[in-house]
Amino acid sequence: MAEGFNTEGMLDVYLFENGQLLEQLQEIVLEQKDEECFDEDSINEIFRTMHTIKGSSGVMMFENITAVSHKLEDVFFYLRESHPQNVPHMELVEHVLEVADFITNEMDKLQNGQQADGDATEILASIDKFLNSIKGGKREKEKIIEKNVHEEPKQFYLAPMATDASRFYKIYLTYQPDIQLANVHAYKIVYSLKEIAEDLLFYPEDILTNESSAEEILENGFKILLQAQASEEELREIMQEGYDLKKVDIYECTGNEFLQGFDSFGSEIRIDLESSVEEIEAKAEAEEGKEKAKEKSKEKPIAPGDFVIESKGPGKAKKLAKDNPKKTEKTSFISVDVNKMDKLMDLIGELVISESVVLQNPDLKVPGLRLDNFHKAAGQMAKISTDLQNVIMSMRMVPLTNTFQKMNRIIFDVSRKLGKDVEFEMVGEHTEVDKNIIEHISDPLMHLVRNAVDHGIESNEERAAKGKTEKGKVTLSAKTESGKVWISVKDNGAGLDRDKILAKARKQGILDYTRDDNSYTDKEVYQFITLPGFSTNEKVTEYSGRGVGMDVVVSNLQSVGGSLEIESTPGQGSVMNLKIPLTLAIIDGIVMEVGNSSFVIETGVVKEFVGIRDNRLVQEPNGEEFIMIRGEGYPVLRLGEWYDLKDYKADTEDGMLVLVEVEKKTICLLVDRLLGKQEIVVKPIPEYVKKVKGLSGCTQLGDGSIALILDAAGLVE
Amino acid sequence: MNEFDTQKDKYITFKSGNEYYGIKIEYVNEIIVYQEITEIPESEDYIKGLINLRGKIIPVVDVRLRFKQKPIEYNDRTCIIVLNVNDIVVGLIVEQIAEVVEIQEENILPPPSIHNTDKVQNIFVQAIGKVGDSVKLLLDPDKLLNDDDLTVLEKVNDENEVEGE
Repeated sequence: MAEGFNTEGMLDVYLFENGQLLEQLQEIVLEQKDEECFDEDSINEIFRTMHTIKGSSGVMMFENITAVSHKLEDVFFYLRESHPQNVPHMELVEHVLEVADFITNEMDKLQNGQQADGDATEILASIDKFLNSIKGGKREKEKIIEKNVHEEPKQFYLAPMATDASRFYKIYLTYQPDIQLANVHAYKIVYSLKEIAEDLLFYPEDILTNESSAEEILENGFKILLQAQASEEELREIMQEGYDLKKVDIYECTGNEFLQGFDSFGSEIRIDLESSVEEIEAKAEAEEGKEKAKEKSKEKPIAPGDFVIESKGPGKAKKLAKDNPKKTEKTSFISVDVNKMDKLMDLIGELVISESVVLQNPDLKVPGLRLDNFHKAAGQMAKISTDLQNVIMSMRMVPLTNTFQKMNRIIFDVSRKLGKDVEFEMVGEHTEVDKNIIEHISDPLMHLVRNAVDHGIESNEERAAKGKTEKGKVTLSAKTESGKVWISVKDNGAGLDRDKILAKARKQGILDYTRDDNSYTDKEVYQFITLPGFSTNEKVTEYSGRGVGMDVVVSNLQSVGGSLEIESTPGQGSVMNLKIPLTLAIIDGIVMEVGNSSFVIETGVVKEFVGIRDNRLVQEPNGEEFIMIRGEGYPVLRLGEWYDLKDYKADTEDGMLVLVEVEKKTICLLVDRLLGKQEIVVKPIPEYVKKVKGLSGCTQLGDGSIALILDAAGLVE
Repeated sequence: MNEFDTQKDKYITFKSGNEYYGIKIEYVNEIIVYQEITEIPESEDYIKGLINLRGKIIPVVDVRLRFKQKPIEYNDRTCIIVLNVNDIVVGLIVEQIAEVVEIQEENILPPPSIHNTDKVQNIFVQAIGKVGDSVKLLLDPDKLLNDDDLTVLEKVNDENEVEGE
């Protein structure tokens, strides 16, 4: 194809689209890895995916990717058309993943401006072997048959549903001599003819399994015998002479000639004329019988090399051995540059501000104005802008499904390599989290999941020795609770070994010598494993044990305001609980005023508001203040004093107490007054300003002014 | 490229106290009139706070405070020069914008030696530009905004008014 063709812009699209396709592919594969075989939809999906990747890679001239995807497509074509039994499913899954990995790897190279130069021969060979093995002995037999063309006519019929209106055609396709993969092009024609065909056969018939058929097609043309109700024009419509097809010859013929098969095309195949008609008819009948049988049980024995193209019988659903009724609805997505989203968010923010500027315009305050209609319109506008805000906010929310799927893959890989039998379960994967956060938790999750499989779950023998009957299992679950997302990675393995961790901690000098070992709570002990360089695993494995990991997990989580809690029961497994804020971008907050400044605090941490009638504050000698509310004392923090603000109300009776509870600790913030509750868009305080204790960000209020967001956890400290 | 050519040698000048200062125009995003500033507690005193620049929240620095001069009341001539220095966007509050001048390289002189003076502003002054009879103090925006040079400043002035990170 076009050398020196500028592919730069296309490369981005290519990488992006194929990246998504591969992700979907893995998802499908892993979803059904524990089944006995893929269901029909999946096979079609994988076939299509590979076909698309092959096509686009072909255009981009990445030959190795084209070759690999073509090979896998072959496999799935075979599965799809021939419904073979006893396909070693696991092996197939591995092949698909292998191919996906290969392509992903190549695409990474391309992304980094390198050449896609990976060597595909090994993969090709292994898939070839696999394909041959699932075709089994039949393949060999087929070869023999190929040699003895004279003995058996190689025509394979479907039940011809001939009606009077049917016409018979002989079609002769000549391809441009320089065309690549002529067999694939030929298959495309066959595929589109299938739609209208009542009966169809073609030669060479092994176009998809035999690479060399491409040469044969180029040399001798591609021949099709077709029985259909279509007119010659309609057929030409389908087989348009184009850049690939040099010539299309269509001859109408009689049914008899049709039954005689290809011999009238030329001398490549000679058919024993005497037996052919009866034989073929008999065969056709047999096929018809089979066809019916197939509808009942899907155990249609496939004749050697049987290359059946099914016509689309009315109401006849093609099914594979396993009928999987579970069909998850796919939402269609469009990917948008995050910068554009941010821009949109900013614009909407400004819209809200200009809205309030318009609606509270001093010009409207002129006495005697009739504003009924204005207020009506204004109300409508306010509603729309609120909706708009909600939409943009929800746009940033992404379900965890993809992240979880990736973990599935990791579990699959690690457990296979370690020879452990591990099941994977996802709960609540549709929980939505802000995109930014998802990016930050993917790595920590990966570590935890790997750890769970590698350290957590015992080897099969160990499990058997311990009398654990159930399979090793890793459960990944997510839920939203009180404005936080809780993700837990649970395994039913050995659990953490308290003594071992303590011993190791002592060795590393982390333990406080003044404390008795027993005085450490389990929680404290487990927390040790999150320290840098701490690993209790004796041997370093490919996946874990180097002691880097848990500390990275924790620091990654902390960077998004999350935390990690570890629970463990010896012998029964451990649970890693990740607590993550739902979003960094939007929080539901209480807006309050102190002096001239506005502050916002997350609604989730506010326990209650207390107005103070009489002076119930108790001042300690060191200046710290307490307040007694319903018999309990809470420390009071005067925000105005704390931040040294101007003009704040010093008299507590004028102010309002906000009770804030974080991690079982409660403090009271004394503010001047509450302004209201609203959803606010969190923006970071510009990095230029050094970090202020107790402030986590800033936001723009409806009137365009800026409010500072209080970080409850920071204040409690 | 053309854009840089037209911006070459151009400086935006503003008045602070009795002096005129210049900043290379390529660092300047825009100039806006003074607007309400939200203070940030516990920050350096020269950081006046945050402003909302069309949805973008940026910090603003009072140039007088940065120079350790006495603050003055803001009035309707007070402007904010929005600077973009290495992708850090900061507003600079100045008393009064003067003009955009072109100063050829041959008219730019090295700054006076630091040892002869205890004025803080010298560390921010990159060079002296001559325009006709007058002199503009050309500022190094990087130094103006960042505290990396704090140690130098402390050495020179031996004072601890500015809190570093």
